[in-house]
Amino acid sequence: MSATRGHLLALGALVVALVAVAFGVRDQVTLELVFTFLLYAVLGQSWNWISGYAGNISFGHAIFLACGAYASGVLVTAGWSPWLAFVAAALAAIVLAVVTGFPTLGLRGHYFSIATIAVAALVEACVRVVPWLNGANGFELPIRNGWSALEFAGKTNYVLLALALFVAVQLATLALERSRLGFYLRALRANYAAAASVGIDERRWKLLAFAASAVMASAAGVLYAQDTLFVDPPSVLALSVSIDIALIGVVGGLGTLWGPAAGALVYVVLAKGVALHLGGSGKGYDLVIYGAIICLIAALRPDGIVGTIVKAARRRRGTLGADAFAAEAA
Amino acid sequence: MSALLTVSGLTKQFGSLRALDGVDLCVEAGRLTGLIGPNGAGKSTAFGCIAGALKPSAGSVRYGEREIAGLPYHRVARLGIGRTYQIVQTFADMTVLEAVTTGALLHRPRLTAATAHAEEILAFVGLDAKRHRLGSALTIADKKRLEVARALATDPALLLLDEVMAGLTPAECRDAVDLLRRILARGVTILMVEHVMEVLMPIAEHVVVIAAGKTIFAGNARAAVRDPAVIEAYLGAPLDGDDGEGAP
Repeated sequence: MSATRGHLLALGALVVALVAVAFGVRDQVTLELVFTFLLYAVLGQSWNWISGYAGNISFGHAIFLACGAYASGVLVTAGWSPWLAFVAAALAAIVLAVVTGFPTLGLRGHYFSIATIAVAALVEACVRVVPWLNGANGFELPIRNGWSALEFAGKTNYVLLALALFVAVQLATLALERSRLGFYLRALRANYAAAASVGIDERRWKLLAFAASAVMASAAGVLYAQDTLFVDPPSVLALSVSIDIALIGVVGGLGTLWGPAAGALVYVVLAKGVALHLGGSGKGYDLVIYGAIICLIAALRPDGIVGTIVKAARRRRGTLGADAFAAEAA
Repeated sequence: MSALLTVSGLTKQFGSLRALDGVDLCVEAGRLTGLIGPNGAGKSTAFGCIAGALKPSAGSVRYGEREIAGLPYHRVARLGIGRTYQIVQTFADMTVLEAVTTGALLHRPRLTAATAHAEEILAFVGLDAKRHRLGSALTIADKKRLEVARALATDPALLLLDEVMAGLTPAECRDAVDLLRRILARGVTILMVEHVMEVLMPIAEHVVVIAAGKTIFAGNARAAVRDPAVIEAYLGAPLDGDDGEGAP
């Protein structure tokens, strides 16, 4: 399939470019921005699985990021290897996804979204009172250096780690689009009754997607904790974190392979990049600009950046109605 | 011949409304059975209860050797009952090929095998030229054809067709009848709801007539149109003392 090759080539080009950046750029602030971009692209893609492809818009995705961040916090401060945190985080994320997804994934319309906000608030409240999660204090990771500690003095290796995770997530999503699960999620999003009539068990397939999505976000959470070395409820469980993730998915384009990366780029360049230059004075211009861009995209291009491109390409190929008829008539 | 589907005493209550009040019907394997009745008789509700989209309040639905009443919708599909909808329910943002592939994935988990099967089904129903069109961009006749293709792709033994002829031009109706004959020739049994009797007459050997949620006739299609109970259900009872002259 030529489309697959195109995506793989694009991914390969991005890898080459970002590896060059990781080794070539000395400015640590820039590298931190690249790391943040990759982390948010992963989080956005993870969200895209359940909210974009399956159509269940979540405003509580931060709970899975928190699974990873807290797995790092708990294990590393207890003297375990941070590499184990990936496994623990994935297991915790799967349990959380199944427990919260089972009763909520079949909810229609906005009720799923409302439920995710409630679940996220509940998780945050629980984290604050569970003693071994250190309540509101959270965790401070000891400062170390090296691959076994998964902590580094410079940002280069963080960029490489995030890039590896990003590549894995993009490849998984490419496979999703060409798999039974991907077709079933799109069918369920389009029409759950018609989907059931061709034998699709909504709960089973959505739980599978939700669990996979949670595992991706949890891995991003581990990298986040290993980079910032500090985890507490506001930094990884606040509603604003979940909304940032959802905005990235929506701005980029729901249910598209490159949408979350495009959304993360807009987010990092605007929200973080502009903040570096304008936000320091405490006037919050960066938020005004970012907010205005979100409003513009929502009003003018509700399909998101990549969604708009995909539609335009379809129109050119003539798979959309009116143009196809015109092409036939000509 | 053996019965593939036997429905008895099927009842469905929506709040205070009894939409089905003891429907009985039997579908012989390999044949086309028509399910007819006036508007509001409960045809689509009966379909929903057989396909699993609705949970019957009471009664039995035997499919082959199994009791399937109340089974989840997707399980019924897996057992081999496919359906179309009276009001078409396409996967709006999927192309024709993708939608039919989704159906084919039920018994062919690999996408390549499912796509190949979908291509075959599209050629069979005559939609192959429009395979890359979006489902939402088709004409009504093609949307109905797409629904039939999507259901056929799941390899059903029994196909429930809900008014596939409604809204079609006479030429499109002839094409649809031809398609039905070819589906029967594939060995698929059909239970078909139809509002218009003329459409059904030439292809259905056996019809079941329901009115007000009850089965009022089951038998030969030609006998159905002469049956007093059927005529009454469609046209109303003769007025008392009506001598044919007094009507204004």
